[in-house]
Formats: sequence, structure tokens, C-alpha cells
Amino acid sequence: MNKYINSEANQHVMKLIQLGAAVQVVSGKMVYASFKFEQDVEVSYAYNINKNNKYFLERIKPYPLSIKEFENPEDVIELIKIDYDQFTNAVKSHNIKNFIKINNSLNKSIKAFEDLFLYYNIPAEYTQKIEHNIEKIQETIQKASKECNRVFFTKEPENL
Amino acid sequence: MPEQHLIIGILIFSLSYIMIVSEKLNRTVVALFGAVLMILFQVVSQEEALEHIDFNTLGLLIGMMIIVNIIKRTGLFQYLAIKTAKLAKGDPVKIILYFSIIAAVASGLLDNVTTILLIVPVTLVISDTLKINPVPFIISEIMAANIGGAATLIGDPPNIMIGSFTGLSFVDFVINLAPIMLVIFIVTIFFIKIIYRKSLKVSEESRQLILKMDERKAITDKKLLIKSLIVLFITIGGFTLAEQIGMESASVAIFGASLLLLISRIEPEEILVDVEWVTIFFFGGLFVLVGSLESIGVISILAEKLLNVTQGDLGITTILVLWMSAILSSFLDNIPYVATMIPLVNEMESLSTSNFEPVWWALSIGACLGGNGTIIGASANVVARGIVERNGHKITFLGYMKIAFPLMIMSIMISTIYLLVFYL
Repeated sequence: MNKYINSEANQHVMKLIQLGAAVQVVSGKMVYASFKFEQDVEVSYAYNINKNNKYFLERIKPYPLSIKEFENPEDVIELIKIDYDQFTNAVKSHNIKNFIKINNSLNKSIKAFEDLFLYYNIPAEYTQKIEHNIEKIQETIQKASKECNRVFFTKEPENL
Repeated sequence: MPEQHLIIGILIFSLSYIMIVSEKLNRTVVALFGAVLMILFQVVSQEEALEHIDFNTLGLLIGMMIIVNIIKRTGLFQYLAIKTAKLAKGDPVKIILYFSIIAAVASGLLDNVTTILLIVPVTLVISDTLKINPVPFIISEIMAANIGGAATLIGDPPNIMIGSFTGLSFVDFVINLAPIMLVIFIVTIFFIKIIYRKSLKVSEESRQLILKMDERKAITDKKLLIKSLIVLFITIGGFTLAEQIGMESASVAIFGASLLLLISRIEPEEILVDVEWVTIFFFGGLFVLVGSLESIGVISILAEKLLNVTQGDLGITTILVLWMSAILSSFLDNIPYVATMIPLVNEMESLSTSNFEPVWWALSIGACLGGNGTIIGASANVVARGIVERNGHKITFLGYMKIAFPLMIMSIMISTIYLLVFYL
């Protein structure tokens, strides 16, 4: 099996180099981990372990999210542990399904916006309109964070 | 030797052989399990079993695998593929010819499977760029690799085993086999060109894409490439002079491998992990299986029977071994076949008064070229098909055989004439 993977990697390297990329192939192990919570919520992660000490952790389910690049495998486990605790808390809320649905909608919107930008020539009025709407969403999030009860204290929020 | 051991030995060998050729279970696991059963049932002792392992063959294989694993990091094959595809101006028929030459030459210096692993991925990129079916390219490369591999001591595992056992040197192989392989290669490629001439058409736009490719970008580490090529040439030089300097081929290969590891400063673990250990262990198990059969006297009995059939005539024996090897190697793995045939031919040689060198060449030619007959005939073919299928294309058993089997038969006919004229 290894030889077939190497053969495919060779093809990718050749194509990418011809496209002008600087390519580095790093051997490693890919780790998939998934947790099952109440209300049929499944949370899954994928990350790689390699000798270059760069670990890219990504949450695959319930919605895709590139979490972080780490330099220590222990930090990866620590972050998954915190994420696990947060979801353990979150699934107790009757809003969990809505939370997942909104997150998936936001992800879908990001992809749709990317397509819009890459496939069409967009006049400034539209980009301003989209920007304005995003600001409104961000304001609502900030407002909610100030007005609602905090339930998780193990770690400070990084994006609020 | 008690009769009980004889029966048990034959039984373990036969069952293992059937399992290996039927490919129902992993061949390495079967060979190792069969080998260990030979010891457990006291057909051979552990010491005896270890003595049967040809460490020269294993050392040669490991050494060359290490060298290749380093060379392939340099992007040499990508460079050669783009350079020649541009030289052919994107003409698919010319590309088939050039890539086949690369495969044949590389296969003479590296083993066939490695050659296929290096040439097929780049071929797929080129055929993808040309928007053309890669199967004709791959079929010609498989055949070229098997022909090229047959030309040298280190080109194909059967030759490594034969050379290691008989003491026939790298130079002996080149002198005796390279010229006939060159003739067979030219004839085979001529017919492949005729077969595919009209079916390979590409658009001008695709040709332009090939011409726009930059082969210089493919070389990822120029210093490493220079070091690798120097060491490869030193190693080939070592094989050529091995007899004069009193070194076995394994020592030459391991010298080259360790020298390259030393001067490349690549982490050995990264290189050693890519050595085909599964193949190495397969050889180990196989040597014990066949060696056990030799220990209990089965090989001697078979050799006597075979000599009775040929009435000790060298010409009949040579041609019989050539054709039998070619036909059997078309459908069976040629490595276990040759591993079994080596002690058999050796036993026949000891019972005969003739010089058996032509029989060894017949075994080598038959086993190596026979592999061209079907898509399962050689490991290189199976690996090539695997890569192609993973890329969404198909090489069917009959589709391959329709083209390759007649060409294989033709190559054996040419070899028959060669052996009759020059050796018998």
C-alpha cells in the first residue's frame, strides 16, 4: 500500500511543481478522533503527527473548522480536551441543534462568498453590503456575550 | 532422513506454494509461516534453515533499494520524463518510445518494480496533460522494464538469485544477456509502435501544454542528484569489477548505499522505512522453504527425473528450461519459481558432465521475459496495474495478454535462436 501512496504523492508533487509551487512532502501519521454526545451530536477531529513538529488540528464534525497549528502534540490533546468539555456543556442546552445549524450556515455562507468573489466581478456596493451585514452579526455576537450568563471558565475565549 | 520428514516437507512446501501462487493470502506471510513450519516439524533445524537464506541476494536488494530511495528524492525521473516528452514535441508514439528506453535502461540498473514505481507516476502526469489514455504507455513500459531488467545481474530478482547462487558476475550477465535483450527490445517496441500508431491522437493544445512544462523545476535537490549519480556509477563500477576485487555483489551494493547515506546526510530512518521489507522477508521465507526441500532430497529426485526426460541432452534441457520458465512465469510469480529451479538446475548440473551455463541463461531469460506474458506475470506488472487502477484507468487481464503474450512468445523464439546459435 505504501508504494501506491508514494506513487500518488509523486504525481501530485510533479503537477504542483509544474504549477510553480514549492513542495515539501512530510511523512507522518494522520489521527482521526471522534466523540459521541447526547442528542446525536458527534464531534470529530483530524490532525497529523510528523517529525517537523507542526500539527494541524481540524474539527471535521459537527461543522468543519480549522482550529490551529501547534508545535507540540500535547497541545493538540489539550485543545481537544477543552473542546470536548465545552461540547459536553453545550449539548445540555436545548439550543445545541440550532447552534450547529447556524454554524453550518455560516460555513456555507463563507463558501458561497468565496465562489461569488472568484467567479464574478462584484461591484463595491455588494461587498459593502456584505461587510455591513457581517458587522451586524458580529455586533449581535458581542452583545450576546455581554448580556448572557457565562457557563465555561476553564479557558478564556480567544475570539470574543 | 526419515520418510515422515520427507512427506511433511513436501506437504508444507506444496501448500505454501499453492497459497503463494493463488494469492489468496499475503505471499510474505505464507512464505514465513511455511518456513517456520519446516523448523517446527523438524524438517530442518533453525541453523540449517538460516544457512539456506541467501544473504547475498538480500544484501544486494536492500543496498539497491536504499540507493534508489535516495535517488528518487531528487526528481530525476520527473526531469527525464518532461525532457523527453518535450523532445518528442508531445507526439505520443515518440513518447512511448522514449519512455520505454528510460524504463529499459533504468530497469537494468534498478529492479523492475522500482523502475515501474518511478516511471508510471510521471507517465500518468504526462498522459493526463496530453488528455490521452495512459494504458498503451504503461503496457510498453512494463514490457521494457522486464526486458531491461533481464539484461543485467541487478535488473530483476531472478537474475540476482541466479547470479548469487552460480557466481556468474555482473559482466557475465551484461555480455551474455544485454545484446539479445537489446534485439528483443527493438523488435518489441517496433511492434508496439505498429499496434498503437493509429489510436494515439492528441490535440495541438495538449502538445503545447507539454512544451510549456519546465523540466528544470523537477530537480528538487541538484547537489543530492550529483552525489546520488556519482555513487550509482561507483556502485555499477563495483559490480563490474566485483570479481577482480574479490567482493560479492551484496557488499558492493551495501557499500554504495552506506556511502550515499553518509554523504547525503539524510536521516537513515527516512530512507530505511521505504525499503521493501515485505519483499526482503518474502525472499527469506522462500529460501528456507526451498532449502528445506533441498535438505530432504526432493530436489535431487526431481533433478534425476528431469534429466531422464531430457536424456541428459544439454540442448533439449536448455530449450525445455527456457520455454517452461517463460510459460510458467507468465502465470506464476517468477521469484518462487526461480528459487525452486536454482537448486534443481544445480543438482542437474552436478549429475551431468556438460557445461550448464546455457541452462542458467535459459532460466534467467525465460523467467524474466516470461513475466511479460500476462499482467500477473511479474511483480512490476501487478504494481503498474495497481497504480493505473488507482488513477481511474483499467488494464484487463485479456486486454494486456492480447498484446503482450504474442510479443512475449516472439521474444522467447528470438532467445531460442540466440541460445541455439551461440551456446548449443
